Amino acid sequence: MSAFLAVPALLPGVLPGAENPVADFSDTPFWLSIVKGVLIFVYLLLSTLLVIWFERRVIGRMQQRPGPNRNGPFGLLQTLADGMKSMFKEDVRPANADKWVFTIAPLIAATMCVVSFSIIPLGPDVYLFGHRTPLQLTDVPVAVLLVLAVASVGAYGIILAGWSSGSTYPLMGGLRSTAQVISYEIAMGLSLVAVFLFSGSMSTSSIVGSQASMWYVVPAFFSFAVYLVTMVGETNRLPFDLAEGEGEIVGGFHTEYGSMRFAMFFLAEYINMFTVSALATTMFLGGWQAPPIISLINDNVVGGGWWGLLWFTTKLWLFMFFFVWLRGTLPRVRYDQFMHFGWKFLIPVTVTWVVAVAFIRGAQPPLNYFGKGALTIGNKAVSIPLLVIISVIAVIALAATWVWDERANAAAMAAAPEAEEEIDPFAGGFPVPPMPGQRLKEPAYAGPRSTAAVVTDGDAVSEATDGDSGTPDPGAAWFTTSEEEPRG
Amino acid sequence: MTTVSTVVMADTFTSASISYSALMPMLIVFVVALAEVLVAGFATRESRHALQVGLSLIGLLGALAALLLGARFHQGVTASVADAAGSRQLGAVVVDGPTIFLQAGVLVLALLAVLIMSERLGGIGADAFTPMGAANPGSVQERAAQRAGLTTSEAFPLMMLAVGGMMLFVAAGDLLTLFVGLEVLSLPLYILTGLARRRRLLSQEAALKYFLLGAFSSAFLLFGAALLYGYAGSVYLSEIASAISAGQPDREVLLVPGVLLVLVGLLFKVGAVPFHSWTPDVYQGAPTPVTGFMAACTKLAAFGAMLRVVYVGAAGDRWNWSVVVVVIAALTMIVGAVMSVTQTDVKRLLAYSSIAHAGFILTGVLAFDVTGVSAVMFYLVTYGLTTIAAFGIVYLVRDVQSGSEATHLSQWAGLGRKHPVAAATFAFLMLAFAGIPLTSGFVAKLGAFGAAVGHGGASGAVLAVIGVLSSAITVFVYVRIIVMMYFTEPAENAVEVVSPSILAKVAIGFCAVLTLALGIAPKLLLDWAANASLFLS
Amino acid sequence: MTNPYVPIIIMVALGAAFALISVGTSLIVGPKRYNRAKMEAYECGIQPTPHASGGGKVPIKYYLTAMLFIIFDIESVFLYPFAVAFDRLGLFALVEMVLFIVTVFVAYAYVWRRGGLDWDY
Repeated sequence: MSAFLAVPALLPGVLPGAENPVADFSDTPFWLSIVKGVLIFVYLLLSTLLVIWFERRVIGRMQQRPGPNRNGPFGLLQTLADGMKSMFKEDVRPANADKWVFTIAPLIAATMCVVSFSIIPLGPDVYLFGHRTPLQLTDVPVAVLLVLAVASVGAYGIILAGWSSGSTYPLMGGLRSTAQVISYEIAMGLSLVAVFLFSGSMSTSSIVGSQASMWYVVPAFFSFAVYLVTMVGETNRLPFDLAEGEGEIVGGFHTEYGSMRFAMFFLAEYINMFTVSALATTMFLGGWQAPPIISLINDNVVGGGWWGLLWFTTKLWLFMFFFVWLRGTLPRVRYDQFMHFGWKFLIPVTVTWVVAVAFIRGAQPPLNYFGKGALTIGNKAVSIPLLVIISVIAVIALAATWVWDERANAAAMAAAPEAEEEIDPFAGGFPVPPMPGQRLKEPAYAGPRSTAAVVTDGDAVSEATDGDSGTPDPGAAWFTTSEEEPRG
Repeated sequence: MTTVSTVVMADTFTSASISYSALMPMLIVFVVALAEVLVAGFATRESRHALQVGLSLIGLLGALAALLLGARFHQGVTASVADAAGSRQLGAVVVDGPTIFLQAGVLVLALLAVLIMSERLGGIGADAFTPMGAANPGSVQERAAQRAGLTTSEAFPLMMLAVGGMMLFVAAGDLLTLFVGLEVLSLPLYILTGLARRRRLLSQEAALKYFLLGAFSSAFLLFGAALLYGYAGSVYLSEIASAISAGQPDREVLLVPGVLLVLVGLLFKVGAVPFHSWTPDVYQGAPTPVTGFMAACTKLAAFGAMLRVVYVGAAGDRWNWSVVVVVIAALTMIVGAVMSVTQTDVKRLLAYSSIAHAGFILTGVLAFDVTGVSAVMFYLVTYGLTTIAAFGIVYLVRDVQSGSEATHLSQWAGLGRKHPVAAATFAFLMLAFAGIPLTSGFVAKLGAFGAAVGHGGASGAVLAVIGVLSSAITVFVYVRIIVMMYFTEPAENAVEVVSPSILAKVAIGFCAVLTLALGIAPKLLLDWAANASLFLS
Repeated sequence: MTNPYVPIIIMVALGAAFALISVGTSLIVGPKRYNRAKMEAYECGIQPTPHASGGGKVPIKYYLTAMLFIIFDIESVFLYPFAVAFDRLGLFALVEMVLFIVTVFVAYAYVWRRGGLDWDY
């Protein structure tokens, strides 16, 4: 280490310390990088073809219908057929559209979506064409930052598509979508900070490597929960698919797109789902590491080599199922609720969580920022400052939820309509529905009224609606009950 | 959980050593600014104005106390790390004589500016500021905000942030801190400029111009800092000075452009020709108390920073770049003086006058001597006092019908007969601007030109001559205003001087009295400036 | 060993090539049947709304969201190196970072109170 530190700034971009990747690419020639790139690309395309079929079949099952089952065994080739069909469709560009941007937007979306996968570790070192190389295209010290950056560039595809279409719905859809993506990107970025605190690195291979003993989903459980929510928001999927809410703005940003250009957006959406799922797998679920119990088999014989790809893919598809499950279960949220949830809940709570994790981490033995005192519970030493901090956090969290609850209750009480006097629906002789906030009196006797009553009341109504001046509240005139005024 | 990751022991990171007592004045100002942001968000609408003004005054007074009672005795470099050789400390913030003097100057001037800014004139909030900055001028929303009694109480936290930035600016020991200070002082001013209650469009236009040109000049400063870093391999001014004295033959080409670009950023802030084009528009468009604050404090902070950059960092190479600044100083004096002759608007006139004054001060800076430092510092404080009072009075002279400020010169005709006190004070302040004896302006000019003649060499002498001639031109301008006020028949449309609250009266009176006192007995302040004129590096 | 950033460029090239070829092929093999109505903006069959060139005006809320996003994105970008180097920075950095977060959240509280986070104010 010390020899390494003696030449600190001679290798630009390579800093000394734990933040460097542990994946070793020294035996990876350039041509092998290209081969691996192509393989990852094919992996992604096949996964996309499969997941669209998968989604339709699972949604079908959830909705008591078979789903696509005509093309190929179990309908597996349905997606391919759809893709081919869209290729032979006419490529319409509306007269209003901006010629260049309209063309470039889907290309940006489709190009950027695959880039993130270059730093995702699909598996440990394997032998490929006689070279020992990691099942990962490349890794850099700021790998996770790269994923977030690429996601932001991908958002350009959406906003440019919406803007360049020269039409109202796509413009609204593009704006909505961008506002949504950037709003949830903050919470997503903050949720990852806790992982960096534990791993001491932003390199994906290091993060996976340091999860050998424990997946970060355990210590950073709250980050995982936040990430799960934000990844759905980031990919514009149900229940957060407000950018293409059919009932409101047709197709959103891709309303004017057809043919292969539309297919590019479609492809990008699904690959983005894979990307965020792969990042979740890498950051929280140990990446290609074998699951805890299975890894005990025969001294982790299933943990290395090509097995890693299996575990990685399994975890990835668990997330894909989660996406489909959400779509099959939840209705779309309202846009303002969505933004409120992101800005008023996720951001402050995630920041608080990050600070709490930083304090907990600082109180733990190797750092001991707050003193070294330790209790021995059983046969394990537990740092006293750590206990104090955790209890303080717990108390604060409880107090916060209690206050939150009280305020929600108070708000609910305040919002509840004051019970007004009961009204008699048949006061005027014919049934009248209650106004908001009014309570119906169950008519004890619904017998026939005298004709005179009806006539009198009809006059009263016409007066109230015609004049609009005599009584300050016309509604009150409607519901004057027969008890007050004995009728002829 | 403990086994999750291994700990890498400390290798390259060393934390900076920080003297909190030296930084306390700045910390107080910034904490109060944050508290005021919360007040603007959480306090009830009625209590906001009183809370904001009170907090601002307490914060500024507290910072002044911390400066004079605490930081003065903890001078030295702070927020510092040891240099590569480990022989001395390199500080991001340098608390030395000039820093203390200039920070105290900023705080006193800001205090006076707050007193004038808080003037309500019977309204709910500060009268100078629009009820709602986001509303279109003359729109329904603006009228609704007016009726609802909204006020822009954010003006006070913005001003406190600007004051904090100015204090950091004059203390910056490296180019990055300099840039941060510049941005922290500039951004609030851009917003404050756009918040005038009356003539909203003019105000918004001024804010936009100021912002665009200011961003441009910040970029110049940053680019210059990058070049100087390329030259010296360090952003610390003291390291740059050592690099200059050691000589860097292969990187010599970076030095002069670097210094000049950094100076462009600073000269923009003081409004020197040819970077002055924003000054008249912004001075005219901004709310008048803000104009006073800007004219006094920004100028002080920017010249303070310039003194440090020039004297600590770049003085070793001055033969190669000072000629450019000499030309700028000469142009600034001439253009400022000549253009002020043609002005018909009081605020624009004072803006061009401030440009001319920037030239006079620049003459003192170019003396390259401690007498220059003390002369410049004295000039800045006296000019600031006079300016705040002058804009304070401009703020009070109102058109009777519209209630807006009567800034056109013709409207000031005959003011001396109806409002003798205000007119007499303003006339006296004009004489101070002109540099007539028995005013502080005379002592200040004497000091600046004296330093230039004594230590500036031939160029200093030339600049002093140009300065005296320009002063003569400006005397004409100021005397014209006095003649207008006393020897001209009052105009048709009536103008009145509204009566302010006691606080604003005290502030304006205090400035005017000090302008006189520093003209008669300047020794105390001169001595202090002379004692405080040595830079630490 | 090649520069670790080069394979990322390979991936960009692959993605771009695939997208270009797909869209290009469809341009060539797809039919071209002109119809004036087809070229109009789609608004569920009604006459399209006249559309200002360049998109026209959009609600101010989006600008506000964008500005707030920049503030908080920069906050999280500052948190990243802090988190990565946390073990080496010591208690001082922890305290400083908490102060930084508090400062940002003063602004956050202000924006919240003033309705900047309400979508339909």
